[in-house]
Amino acid sequence: MNLKNIIPIKEGFTLKSLFEYEKTPLNNFVAVTTISLVLLFFMGVITYLMHGHHAYNVTREHPWGLLIGMYVFFVVSSTGLCIISSFGHVFNIKEFKIIGKRAIAGAIIAILSGFAVIAFEIGHPVTMMIYNVLSPGLTSAIWWMGTLYGLYLTLIIFEFILLQKNDHKWGWYFSLGGLVIGVIAHSNLGSVFGFLIARPISNGVFYPVYFILSAMITGSYLIFLLYGFRYKMNFPPEVTAMLTKLAKVLGLLLAILIFFEAWKFLTAIYGGKPEKADVALHILGGANFWIGEFLLGMLIPFIIVIYSKGKAIHTLVWASITGMVGIFFMRYDLVHDTQLFPMQTLKIREYQLAPTWIEYFPSFAEIAISIGAIGIAIAMYYVASKAFELDHR
Amino acid sequence: MARYGMVLDYKNCINCKACEVACKEENGVLLGADAHRIWVGVDEIKGEYPLLDIVSSTFMPSQCQHCDNAPCEEVCPTHATYYDDNGVVRVDIDKCILCSYCMNACPYDARYVDSRTMTVDKCNFCSDTRLSNGEVTTACQATCPTKVRIFGDLDDPDSEISEILRTREHFTLKPHLGTKPKLFYVM
Repeated sequence: MNLKNIIPIKEGFTLKSLFEYEKTPLNNFVAVTTISLVLLFFMGVITYLMHGHHAYNVTREHPWGLLIGMYVFFVVSSTGLCIISSFGHVFNIKEFKIIGKRAIAGAIIAILSGFAVIAFEIGHPVTMMIYNVLSPGLTSAIWWMGTLYGLYLTLIIFEFILLQKNDHKWGWYFSLGGLVIGVIAHSNLGSVFGFLIARPISNGVFYPVYFILSAMITGSYLIFLLYGFRYKMNFPPEVTAMLTKLAKVLGLLLAILIFFEAWKFLTAIYGGKPEKADVALHILGGANFWIGEFLLGMLIPFIIVIYSKGKAIHTLVWASITGMVGIFFMRYDLVHDTQLFPMQTLKIREYQLAPTWIEYFPSFAEIAISIGAIGIAIAMYYVASKAFELDHR
Repeated sequence: MARYGMVLDYKNCINCKACEVACKEENGVLLGADAHRIWVGVDEIKGEYPLLDIVSSTFMPSQCQHCDNAPCEEVCPTHATYYDDNGVVRVDIDKCILCSYCMNACPYDARYVDSRTMTVDKCNFCSDTRLSNGEVTTACQATCPTKVRIFGDLDDPDSEISEILRTREHFTLKPHLGTKPKLFYVM
């Protein structure tokens, strides 16, 4: 069977054509960076294959590390792109109809990159595939996460194929299915943390809702970055119109996020509930939150949107880089902060270890796989942009 | 079938750590894996010399609480963690995928990665080595010189553990979480 019968591939696409690109300084920089990151990824994987889980700095007290954060980072990106693309494709908002192909390609690539990361975090991935089917734990949010994301990926792959074939009737059904399952899968991922009764700082309704909100913000940043790079800042009028509208949506989403975060911390601290108030205060005492999450992830893009009334789309492309760095900190902190409080502490009568915050810093293998996976994502996006028509007509 | 639980008369504990040694020997816990399967928590003497509050120093043996409503069992995606017929929370290492969700979900820090099998293990009341052979003791209980631990069937009204729970005041750890532990600390 010929692949071209399933999905239209660009004329002239060959393996050799992958090495042909416009040799501008920016393109060369991106190419070298991408290759370096891909090499870094494989160095991390080799280290993991040689030492297994011992290559990671995760401990009994801090069993989840950077890889979990990075996995969440990628799947949040995927869901975000899917939701933002649905503005046009599902809800028929005119300005957003042009982003469907590129956004869905990005969504597929992001989730595949997430799977590439989590494959090296799960200790026994083959066992997982067997017993997820033979012995499903239906009360486990992780079981639902795997199942729903698998279904979501299948739906958005079909959606992408149908978009490439310009079959908008069936494409609509699949994009609606992808959106609904994507939102369910993603809020379920929030519940992986929200269900943790042992961790009062994470337990509750916040994360399942926050995940959807921050996914939309991530999707907006990525759309700015994808289009900024695609058009090298010389946007055609329809893209300018789309990005201007997206900037306003982004401003609203950031305002809601800041509002959510403020109340999350106020309710956590108020009353001084043990294991919650002290953890919240500890988080607020660190640069990760204020500089990483708040300044880079929320405040800088928000001020640009407000100050320019959403018109400074060129600046917002640059701000989306700080935004994505901020999103990375949000994901990392989400995982780390959940585990900050030790479960065994001395001087509270039932516990044992000295009362100190759990420390964690990722190992080389964790950093290499996590950061390297960004290179995997960029490489896949490059191949997709060469092989498929991602531009609107 | 029984419903096994354990009473800890913790004020009798002298922190000799014989229970930890016996547990390691019985269940093959590796050297250096301190405070992994069972442990003794130490509450240090409060106050400053010479005004020391001698009675404030206590030893608190602890381990998996074998909850009736175990968060680790609930979050396991492959049923690697399960309740056996005796109500003991156990791990089927063939099904464990090392996602570590149970380690994060356990409010008692009772789970650890067994470096030999690279799966998440925990106390199983010596089910493999003793209960399955018809014995009704655990290694930690059998070795304890001051009889801190009383192990038995909570459903048997004539068992020693039932008698103690009827007659002595006791508490469980983090009862507000609704996990319904089957480890009881008597006052």
